[in-house]
Amino acid sequence: MPGGSYDQSPTSSSSSLLPSVFPSASPKQTNMPDFEERQSLLGDENEGSFTGRQTARGPDRPMPAICDPSHLLHRVVVLLFMCFLGFGSYFCYDNPAALQTQVIQDLNLNTAKFMQLYAWYSWPNVILCFFGGFLLDRVFGIRLGTIIFSLFVCVGQVIFATGALVNRFWLMELGRFVFGIGGESLAVAQNTYAVNWFKGKELNLVFGLQLSMARLGSTVNMNIMGWVYSRVEDLVGSGHTALGISLMIAAVTCLFSLVCALVLAFLDKRAERILHKEEGKTGEVIKLTDVKDFPFPLWLIFIICVGYYVAIFPFIGLGQVFFIEKFNFSPAEARAVNSIVYIISAPASPVLGFMVDKTGRNVVWVITAVVATLAAHMMLAFTFWNPWIAMSLLGVSYSLLACALWPMVAFVVPEHQLGTAYGFMQSIQNLGLALIAMAAGAILDTRGYLVLEVFFCACICIALIAVVMLYFVDYLRGGDLNQSAAARAKLQKEATSDAEIKRRPSRLTEGELARLAPMSAFGLRNRYLSRLGAQLPDHCSSHLSSLAHRSVLK
Amino acid sequence: MAAVALCSSRSLVFLFSVFILFSGGETFIRQLSVELNPGSTSTPPGGDLLHVRAVGDNDTLHFLFCSQGAPTLLLVHTNSSSSTVKVDWSQFVAPNTSGSLKVEPESSVQYSSAVVFSKLLEYDDVNDTADPTSDLLPPYELQDFTWSRLNLSGPTALLCGSAPNATNGSLCLKLSVFDSEGRSQSWPRLLHTANSSQLGVWLDGLLPRATRSRFLLELQAVGRTDPPSRVEVHQSIDDEYTPSIFQVSQWVSSENGSSDVLGFVQWKPVAYRRSDPVLEDATPCRHSDPRPQSGKAAPSGLIRAFYSDPDVFGLNVSFGLGGEPFYNSTRFLSWTMLVGVGSPPVDSFSPLVVTIMAVGLGTPVVLLLLGGVWVCVKKRAAASTTAYEPIN
Repeated sequence: MPGGSYDQSPTSSSSSLLPSVFPSASPKQTNMPDFEERQSLLGDENEGSFTGRQTARGPDRPMPAICDPSHLLHRVVVLLFMCFLGFGSYFCYDNPAALQTQVIQDLNLNTAKFMQLYAWYSWPNVILCFFGGFLLDRVFGIRLGTIIFSLFVCVGQVIFATGALVNRFWLMELGRFVFGIGGESLAVAQNTYAVNWFKGKELNLVFGLQLSMARLGSTVNMNIMGWVYSRVEDLVGSGHTALGISLMIAAVTCLFSLVCALVLAFLDKRAERILHKEEGKTGEVIKLTDVKDFPFPLWLIFIICVGYYVAIFPFIGLGQVFFIEKFNFSPAEARAVNSIVYIISAPASPVLGFMVDKTGRNVVWVITAVVATLAAHMMLAFTFWNPWIAMSLLGVSYSLLACALWPMVAFVVPEHQLGTAYGFMQSIQNLGLALIAMAAGAILDTRGYLVLEVFFCACICIALIAVVMLYFVDYLRGGDLNQSAAARAKLQKEATSDAEIKRRPSRLTEGELARLAPMSAFGLRNRYLSRLGAQLPDHCSSHLSSLAHRSVLK
Repeated sequence: MAAVALCSSRSLVFLFSVFILFSGGETFIRQLSVELNPGSTSTPPGGDLLHVRAVGDNDTLHFLFCSQGAPTLLLVHTNSSSSTVKVDWSQFVAPNTSGSLKVEPESSVQYSSAVVFSKLLEYDDVNDTADPTSDLLPPYELQDFTWSRLNLSGPTALLCGSAPNATNGSLCLKLSVFDSEGRSQSWPRLLHTANSSQLGVWLDGLLPRATRSRFLLELQAVGRTDPPSRVEVHQSIDDEYTPSIFQVSQWVSSENGSSDVLGFVQWKPVAYRRSDPVLEDATPCRHSDPRPQSGKAAPSGLIRAFYSDPDVFGLNVSFGLGGEPFYNSTRFLSWTMLVGVGSPPVDSFSPLVVTIMAVGLGTPVVLLLLGGVWVCVKKRAAASTTAYEPIN
């Protein structure tokens, strides 16, 4: 068990609840994982001492700003590589959707088989959601781990493309499986790098940029792959060869990402040598036995998550042909409208995240998002209205849901179970995605788009039922899921003053601790909101690698 | 949100009304009687004549299907439940004689129209644009085909023919007449009523004369005064029975200036490239505008025998679009249409769809109401018993 090695005794877990900005006296203080994970390597307080140490130990040679790991300019360069680290994986994830007609035609597939390509991506992540962080922290380390996961992505895409070249579908499925092993974990690694380099500085902005990069990858893929295919087709003629070559071209983005991973590893190693800093950690603590302690509202949140996302991703996977056949769109137009969800969520996520953060009342926002999504799906199912309307609504509600739903987990489980809760949530989400992707293909093949859309509506309805139940359960339990931000702030204030009083004795004895900004449980949970791009005070923002998975980043 | 709620409640009402329509609608049933070569003592040369008499409460539909010349389906609607078909066989088999087939009493005839499968056209789609105006190969005249005897099983009849010089491959037609509403099992699963018959056409194994061949079928609609003259294309959100097809085309006849439809030919713009198709075997169809065929008598024995000076409209149905696989890939094409009197049947949501939506939308609403009431009751109870205690 990955989390088993962490000390979960009451004393240490209470110490792990201590706040985040923790200037460690010695960088070698590795026996306390929580300290080291939150350690701001380039924190304001530390910078001076690092520089001092550097000049003291190293030969006194001035470095240009761009090469100096402690300088902003250098970090911008690092950021560039960090952003492109995930580009390949996001670009290639939706390759099948962008080339749906071509894949089906060139390989003589039916839709059910086509959707297997998505299912095979999800299968490894049913398990890996629990172990990705562990592998990065304990087995490979962030640098080697990133390179390995990039390799998986790269090799997976190459296998996928080779399968198309030689017209072997099982090989393509294998490729998607290998690709899936790398893809989600790479997002975790990317996130960890960001925290490692930017914590306490421009972290929110960096997360925002990574988010935009992810969407850029998806959008560019949706809109360019058709063109690439037609160019290749002009050269070698139609058929699986053209498809294979197009996918090989797409694999170049993965190769590019692999190069980024290598460069990052080098730069990180170099920074470590110069600044004597630690390798970044995801800080994920997974303890599967926690599952039995999950409160009822958390299970409802799981149901919402699964019910909602299975009606989004498989739909986007099948969307292109739907728009062509039902709305008589041209393939290019269909690809554009299919990618609008991603395009909208790029600017909408930070704005909506800010809004949800300022108003609170997460359950009402989730209900709004689910109802809006239901309305969008019903529009697509029962009307001939221009799909731009429905898809835009879907894009906005999808972003709103991500902003309102994911932070709720942090309100219902204690801090030390968060990693497990998020891991579990992603695991069953991936399981749901894999199963529903297969079911969706089979339904489309035999019953057509109306029944498929009705099926998606039914999934959303299940999510709606769960969220309505969540509303009442939370109301009756007097939970804080649906409190306004003002009420939460008040609670936080009370909790803070409580904490102040409690800590006073220790403050007197331990001078080191006195420098800590006291934080309530809410304050700690607040850190997770930062994942969604909301601008929070820096002392609130931290990282949670398990949130870095595709479903949130998109 | 209110608008959404209103919308969903409206659709709920709509769904429920559809549901009622489903359970409440009783099906109309006709008595079918099938007769091959009515009144003939021997098998006539040149092709069989099938007569299906569909007797309703106070009317009769006569379906006449004949392979003398080009295959033809004639549909006669009478307002008497005892009308009959009289054939003068000696004249019927002789060319160039009219009036050898009568429906008696003649005054009872309300409407009649016929569909003739006159030509099969093939073209070489060199540029893969599916534009049939270029490179048309010499057409197959279906009157010149060698037609088999009619193969009857119940109210369905199978007719196959092969081209004069072809060694293998055939064009087959399958007529099904129905006594009540329903759907056939295979795609496109058109909804039929007792007032309509279904004609399936398929081309099986006919050798293409070019590697990039595509086909067209020329149809003629014949009527005494008001043959089907315009094609309406309706959008339909319901593709449950014909996956991925959201249109239905109706070639309708109506009296001058009136919107009442007398008779129709209905089809969905889809053909299938395999006899046991999956979704990927579907290929789209297009049709040309119907054009009056003045002075060109349809080459059909049945038309000659029943009509003296008919109006004829013709249109082409072309199979496949640019980029779709060519006929050569499977050497099979099948297409289905419905021929009937009155208004064409309209698809409605299946009980499955209605149930899922009703349950899916109903449950959250019910839950919301119940929960609201429960919370109110609990609040009131709490307020009355412990008035001064803080709620939290």
